[in-house]
Amino acid sequence: MSALPLHQAGHRFGDRDALTGLSFAAAHGEVVAMVGLNGAGKTTALRVLTGRLRPDRGTARVLGEDPATMRPTTARRFGHVVGAALVSGDLTVVENLRSAASLHGLPRADVEHASADVVHRLDLDAWADAPARTLSAGNAQRLGIACAVAHSPSALVLDEPTSALDPRGVVLVRELVRSLADDGAAVLVSSHHLDEVARVADRVVVVHGGRVVGELAPGDEMERRFFAMVLAADAEADA
Amino acid sequence: MTALGTALRVEALAWRRSTVQRLSTALVLVLVPLAAVGLTALARSGTVVGAGAAKLEPYATGDLATTQLAAAGQILSVSMLIAVGFALAATFGQPLADGRAGACFGLATPRPTIAAARCLVVLGRALACVVPALGITAALAAVTSSGLGPEAWAAAGRGLAAGMLGAGLGVPFAAVATATRSPLATVGALIGVVALTQMVVLVGGGSWFPYAVPSLWTGMGGAEAAAGIGPAGLLLTAAVAPVGIAVVTRQWHRLTDV
Repeated sequence: MSALPLHQAGHRFGDRDALTGLSFAAAHGEVVAMVGLNGAGKTTALRVLTGRLRPDRGTARVLGEDPATMRPTTARRFGHVVGAALVSGDLTVVENLRSAASLHGLPRADVEHASADVVHRLDLDAWADAPARTLSAGNAQRLGIACAVAHSPSALVLDEPTSALDPRGVVLVRELVRSLADDGAAVLVSSHHLDEVARVADRVVVVHGGRVVGELAPGDEMERRFFAMVLAADAEADA
Repeated sequence: MTALGTALRVEALAWRRSTVQRLSTALVLVLVPLAAVGLTALARSGTVVGAGAAKLEPYATGDLATTQLAAAGQILSVSMLIAVGFALAATFGQPLADGRAGACFGLATPRPTIAAARCLVVLGRALACVVPALGITAALAAVTSSGLGPEAWAAAGRGLAAGMLGAGLGVPFAAVATATRSPLATVGALIGVVALTQMVVLVGGGSWFPYAVPSLWTGMGGAEAAAGIGPAGLLLTAAVAPVGIAVVTRQWHRLTDV
């Protein structure tokens, strides 16, 4: 069973179609990357998958449950960063991590260890006691991801997880994502960076016009193959 | 630990660190006692004449400490409404306006529980401010008068209850902030309710209108209006906070498109 399936999702914002029958799935142990141009529907799809938006049609499931109404026992195994993370600017890095781990259902006895572990994994030790609002954009993004994974989720959704990161941060997040998947988690990431997704993803799905228009095999000339796929989808839509 | 316990602990930490909380606590603890004592002193100084003197007349006579504590209760009844209303406009409206509320989805701690905890923390902190604000006023009254008699303590008790009722009246603005998804619109609604309260009092409906009850009960509308506030009006006013929490919890259960 797929951990993160989206089936025939459709949604309109006013008179604009955001999703037009979008379907894909991420299985346990797999990193699936979703790539597409701005406005393709990636973030809308991720909002549906995290329960933040109920689609006009179609279904979303996280670990077998509707993400909008999932039980706490299921939510305990889920993590996400779509847009703003579970971070308060007034709290320090460590306080944010402890709060996030608690809200994700980690037992109180485990919160301290889990927070310290993820601080170290994402190289945030130097800022552990700094208020989150004082962090650079890159460190804030790493903190957001840390808050989403402090409880070691079995299903993880990340929207543009490396958009503000320096090369070292990109490597850290890549290693984290890969290691979670190697431990059996289903990971779905959206990205504009084709080179980056080629390094981390097992599968790359191309979203355009609110639907999946194909899959790209990670490898050479991804950019050329991506644009060929998008142009073919446009031509098909115009025909 | 229960989900509510977790949410209360997390929200309490966030609220303790927040600038809005630090500023509003300092303002209540400093301004309420100073205003109560200052207002009474001004009324008794004889320096204010004309319309101002007429407004200050209730504070110009009677036992000094009782008047000071009654004035503190009147100020608290309104200032706690405004403080809690502003706080909930910020803590509910801003995360919905900038999308941070989206992070509350898909958590083991359900988002309605988080919403309820946020209301309870802000309300609890506000109630915790009422006691020291009156305590400081009582200390100032003890120093500036001949001591606190039974009437003064009764005025302090009524001020305490009025401050708590006023704080509870701010809770529905969490629901307004959730519905409008805008802190500014919520503050606008708060100002609108204060203006509406003035009109309701002018037409004589204050004794049943929850937003008028605490201030009328503490004597802001005179002794006759205070005597007109019965147990039913007070109970109705006290019911506003739990109803507000129930409404905002329901809203957060149904929340979508965040």
